[in-house]
Amino acid sequence: VFLVALTPKVNDEASSDAALVRRLLRKDVRAFEQLYDRHSRIVYGLVLRILQQASTAEEVVQDVFWQLWRNASQYQEDRGPFVPWLLTLARNRALDNLRLKSERQRRREDQSEQLPAIAQMPEYEEALDERRRAEIVRALVGSLSASQRQAIEMAYFQGLSHSEIAAALHEPLGTVKSWIRNGLLRLKEGLQGTS
Amino acid sequence: VSEHDQFREMIEGRALGSLDAPECAKLDAHLATSCAECAKALEEARWLVTQLVYLAPPAEPSEMLRARLLQKVRAEADAATPQQVARSQPAIAVWMWIGVAALVVFSAYSSWKAHQLERSVQSLTATLENQVAENKKMMESLVAAKHEAHILTDPHSKKFIIWPNDKQMPKLEATWHPEMGIYVTGWQVPMPAKNHVLQLWLIPKEPGSKPMPSRTFWPDSKGKVDLMVDNPPEEMAQTKALAITEEPEGGSAQPTSTPMWVGGVS
Repeated sequence: VFLVALTPKVNDEASSDAALVRRLLRKDVRAFEQLYDRHSRIVYGLVLRILQQASTAEEVVQDVFWQLWRNASQYQEDRGPFVPWLLTLARNRALDNLRLKSERQRRREDQSEQLPAIAQMPEYEEALDERRRAEIVRALVGSLSASQRQAIEMAYFQGLSHSEIAAALHEPLGTVKSWIRNGLLRLKEGLQGTS
Repeated sequence: VSEHDQFREMIEGRALGSLDAPECAKLDAHLATSCAECAKALEEARWLVTQLVYLAPPAEPSEMLRARLLQKVRAEADAATPQQVARSQPAIAVWMWIGVAALVVFSAYSSWKAHQLERSVQSLTATLENQVAENKKMMESLVAAKHEAHILTDPHSKKFIIWPNDKQMPKLEATWHPEMGIYVTGWQVPMPAKNHVLQLWLIPKEPGSKPMPSRTFWPDSKGKVDLMVDNPPEEMAQTKALAITEEPEGGSAQPTSTPMWVGGVS
C-alpha cells in the first residue's frame, strides 16, 4: 500500500528537471541518467561548436555532468530554470578551455561569476517544443544582416569582447556594439512575436 | 541619453559576456545599487542569450562517453552507501568511549590497582571494539538481509532463471523488484580466470541497443553467488534479458566475451 501510494508522486517527479536534480542530492543514479539522456546532445552540440574538436568537447561535457553529479546543490530551483543554468555552465567551461593560458582568460575571470547567474524565462516565453524553438531561433538569426550575425556568433561561440570583435573585423567599436545589441533585440522581438 | 539609459544599452553585452572590462565594472556597480529594472532586464537577456545555443549544429556525444560517465557515477554512489550506514550508528561509538573513559578515571582513583586496571581497560576496550565491529557487521548484514527478503517476498518482484550456456554449469536465480533492484543468487559457481571477474549485463528490449554494464562480482570460496544491484542501469520494463560474462578485472563498458549465463526477463 505504501509503495502504491508513492508511485504517482515518483512518476510526477520524473517529468521535471528540477525534481531530477533534487533526486541527485540523494545520489540517485537513475535521475542522473535521465538528465544526461535529456540534455547531453544540446550540451555536446554547444561545446563542440565552441571547441571544434570532438575529443576535447567530450572531456568538457564529462566535466560538466560530473560537476552536476558532485555539486547538484549549486543549482537553485527558485533562481531559474535548469536548462539555461546547465548551458551557461557548459559554455563557461568550454570558453575557459578555449582561453586557457591566454590574455582573455583574465578578462573573463574579472567579469563573470564561477557559477552561472540567474537566467529568468521572460513573460512572453512559452514552453515551445525544443525542435520548434531551434527552427525559430535559426530563422530569426538568419534574418539578421551578415555582420550582425557574425558579431553575435563571435561573442557567443568564441567568447570575444566588443573591442576584440571590432579589431578582428576592422570596424569601429560603436558599430560592433550596435550590431550585437540590435541583433539580440530583434531576436527578442521575434520570439515575442511567435508566442 | 540619461545615465540609466546608458546602462540599459550595456545589458545585452553583459548577458553575452562581451562587455569590455571597464563597462562591465560600471554596470555591475550600477546593479549593486539594486536597480530592479536593470536586474530584471539582465535576467531576461541572459535567457535570450541561452537561446543562441540553437545556432550550434546538432551533434551526438559517443556512447563511450555515456558509459564512462555512468560507470564513474555508479562507482561513487556505491562507495557512498556503506559510509552512510556507518554514520547512522554514532551511539555505539559514544558508548564505547564512555566505557573507556569511566575505566580510565577509575584506574586513576585506585592507584594501587593501576597495573591491573590498565590491563582490564585494554581487555575491555578490545572486547568493546570487537563487539562494535561485530555489531556493525551484523547491522549491515541485517540491512542487506531485510532488503533481500523484501525483494524476494514482495508481490511486485519478478523471479526468473539465468540459464548457463554450458550444461555442466549451475543455473542462477534472479529476483527483480522495480523499485528496490535485482538480487541474483547461485551455488557451485566456478571462479573466473586470474585477473578476471564476472559481470552482469542488462540487455535492452529496444532493437539495436547495446548491453548496459552492471556490477562485477566473484563467487565466494564455496562457489556461492550473492549479488545485490540496488540501482540497475535500465528499467525492468525496458529490459529483455540479463546476461553474465567473464571480463577483465574492473569490468568493461561493453562485453568482451560470450555470455556464460543468459536469462529472459519475462
